[in-house]
Amino acid sequence: MASTVVKSALKAIRERGLGTFLRELKEEGYLRCLPDGNLLQTKLHNIGAKLVGVDKFGNKYYEKLGNTQYGRHRWVEYAEKSRYNASQVPAEWHGWLHFITDHTGDELLMLKPKRYGIEHKENLSGEGDEYIYHSKGHTLNPGQRDWSRYQPWQPTKAE
Amino acid sequence: MGLGLIASRAIRPVNFFSSSRFLLRTIVSKPELQSSAAAADASPEPDLPPRTPVGGARVHFTNPEDAIEVFVDGYPVKIPKGMTVLQACEVAGVDIPRFCYHSRLSIAGNCRMCLVEVEKSPKPVASCAMPALPGMKIKTDTPVAKKAREGVMEFLLMNHPLDCPICDQGGECDLQDQSMAFGSDRGRFTEMKRSVVDKNLGPLVKTVMTRCIQCTRCVRFASEVAGVQDLGILGRGSGEEIGTYVEKLMTSELSGNVIDICPVGALTSKPFAFKARNWELKGTETIDVTDAVGSNIRIDSRGPEVMRILPRLNEDINEEWISDKTRFCYDGLKRQRLNDPMIRGADGRFKVVSWRDALAIVAEVAHQVKPEEIIGIAGKLSDAESMMALKDFLNRMGSNNVWCEGTGTQPNADLRSGYIMNTSISGLEKADVFLLVGTQPRVEAVMVNARIHKTVRANNAKVGYIGPETDFNYDCQHLGTGPNTLKEIAEGRHPFFSAISNAKNPVIIVGAGVFEREDKDAIFSVVETIAKKGNVVRPDWNGLNVLLLNAAQAAALDLGLVPESSNSIDSAKFVYLMGADEVNLDKLPDDAFIVYQGHHGDRGVYRANVILPASAFSEKEGTYENTEGCAQQTLPAVPTVGDARDDWKTIRALSEVAGMRLPYDTLGGIRSRMRMVAPNLLQVDEREPATFGHSLKPEVTQKLNPARFKSAVENFYMTDAITRASKIMAQCSASLLKK
Repeated sequence: MASTVVKSALKAIRERGLGTFLRELKEEGYLRCLPDGNLLQTKLHNIGAKLVGVDKFGNKYYEKLGNTQYGRHRWVEYAEKSRYNASQVPAEWHGWLHFITDHTGDELLMLKPKRYGIEHKENLSGEGDEYIYHSKGHTLNPGQRDWSRYQPWQPTKAE
Repeated sequence: MGLGLIASRAIRPVNFFSSSRFLLRTIVSKPELQSSAAAADASPEPDLPPRTPVGGARVHFTNPEDAIEVFVDGYPVKIPKGMTVLQACEVAGVDIPRFCYHSRLSIAGNCRMCLVEVEKSPKPVASCAMPALPGMKIKTDTPVAKKAREGVMEFLLMNHPLDCPICDQGGECDLQDQSMAFGSDRGRFTEMKRSVVDKNLGPLVKTVMTRCIQCTRCVRFASEVAGVQDLGILGRGSGEEIGTYVEKLMTSELSGNVIDICPVGALTSKPFAFKARNWELKGTETIDVTDAVGSNIRIDSRGPEVMRILPRLNEDINEEWISDKTRFCYDGLKRQRLNDPMIRGADGRFKVVSWRDALAIVAEVAHQVKPEEIIGIAGKLSDAESMMALKDFLNRMGSNNVWCEGTGTQPNADLRSGYIMNTSISGLEKADVFLLVGTQPRVEAVMVNARIHKTVRANNAKVGYIGPETDFNYDCQHLGTGPNTLKEIAEGRHPFFSAISNAKNPVIIVGAGVFEREDKDAIFSVVETIAKKGNVVRPDWNGLNVLLLNAAQAAALDLGLVPESSNSIDSAKFVYLMGADEVNLDKLPDDAFIVYQGHHGDRGVYRANVILPASAFSEKEGTYENTEGCAQQTLPAVPTVGDARDDWKTIRALSEVAGMRLPYDTLGGIRSRMRMVAPNLLQVDEREPATFGHSLKPEVTQKLNPARFKSAVENFYMTDAITRASKIMAQCSASLLKK
């Protein structure tokens, strides 16, 4: 297995040149594998797995049947290599990824309601108040209703 | 509620008492009580638990010989002759269901809900219309009475829509309550219900005439209390309708009361429509300040919002009615409110500042001017505590130019009898001749006018009026327009003088609009001459009255808010307006510094340099004295808006910033200060008559000015900052005052 990896790497260097190869290596997150074991494990896991689909954020969904422990045969490689979290998986892929359905996200996207279906947004907790969703009645919601029961006098109206 | 009690008694099995007596007998140990004879003796008694009259009513026997005894459900009660069966039942503690009967209106007897059984009477009798006779045996919980009520209820519900879920009366509806208590649990009616076209009664009263059960309370109220012949009944049987005959609005200033007396949801409040349910509301018993009568009201609030205002019973002041201005001014409390301290900058714009900065600037400017250049004017809605604090503060600053707007430049505060209603409002009912001098009670004090109307109806009292042309809702002789007529009466040349001198209890009412006249002392001396010659003031009767205009006036004069010099405004450099909007500031020097402390952005703020927000009457505890000299207190119903504070607290804080700390920190402290100045202001809910009469007044050398009296109130619906901010009042003045 190791020899195939080395072989394909050498092939890629030969075809595209060393500079392009190194850039891709970085973009694909192979450099992050050194400090991030989870990513390394995912990369290793990816070898020989089937790429089922890629969502619109660039997350890659893999499946490997046979020779894999049941329940660990579907996984995602996040497009974001450094600050990834589970909320980056959009709703349509969530079901496939968690074995709720065998339909892939691309198939389920057909069912998305046109009129009121909204874009998936990851959970931005901890990223600052302006990124966080606040419900309609929340104090920090910018469109919050004015609940004051009186109308103040406006000094500009005078004179 | 009493009705529920009766209902539960009706439902209770008959043998309940006999079984309980059986239980009792086994417990009793005394042998004499165990004997069967004693048990038989006691048998009628346990059936009668001690009863208290409905609503804690007391029976007043004008003549002890006239007392008669009747039996209500076997329970003997003593009542005065002339009472109806229904009233006798109330004294006995039995609440009879009723729709058309109202204790303050004439008896119609057309709803038939009050049917009771009377022994030896072949049919059930309508108790509201039947006079009680000695020895009458009235039965209110027999099967006959029960069946009669059930039948009446079924007929009433035949044409009453089942729209309680969308009806504003829901939850406080007599029909709803009584159909629960006395109605059948099912109806047999399958046909179509009748429907009636809604009438337009103006911007205050909403009508859903399909709900009307033709009790005619509103018709009787309009003609008997409000004194307008606007409402009437048209048609017969199922075609019967309440209406105005021709398309017109109800032009009474008491029209809002038909909402209260309507037992169903046919007449409801238009501004309150679909706003709240009565069980969501918190009631606060307080006082109205829109006029000088001080009507007792209940402010119903939900959270921080005043939802509606209802009258409260006070026999001495407003009975159970209130004027439309009182009832519907509440939306003014939510508009044009001052909620932050503001300072006018160099560019002429107001800028919101903190309390600390605002008070610091006011204190600094107050120290820069000479003491005699400081003046303070209390507004017409000020409470006594704030006026006391204002006067104390300005006195410490060295100025004694404090007054209350509406009392004129030289008010006469020395003799209390010179500015209050000495007869008292309820005392007006004994009068037989009225002389109204420069006052139009119909717009100045509606509840006083309602009393006069009641007296005119009951005693055929004669009313003479001197003043500009105006509408009265009772027969009134227009004697003249100016003080010359007054002089003629005083000299006995006028025919009305004989009416006064022949009267048993004559009443003279002078309007507070006269205070603004230059020759007011002369007018008062002429009036006193009439009073002396006509024997108006006697030891047993004081008929010489002044009808004040504003809620603050009486307390202001009691506290001695009198300016030192009458033209102090011409040279003032520092003016403290405590809610005063109607002061004429034209003569004020241009460089004067004006502090406006108030709750509404009204006329007063336009020249102000500093605005200090204050709380309105619904948001503070304060003492107000009404025109008859009865001190009453308001209670806070809702929280104040924004950063506003009570008037007296602001002045107390300002005094500390200015280095002249006032010695009180609490309402209790300020009231004990008031006790030294005017102890009667602490006798809450008790009328304090004036001690000294007019005879102590010095001789008047002023000459009468023949100029006509002016009307003191131009627009009944808009007289103060609250009512001027109100949208409902604006609608009323647009549609109801149209000539």
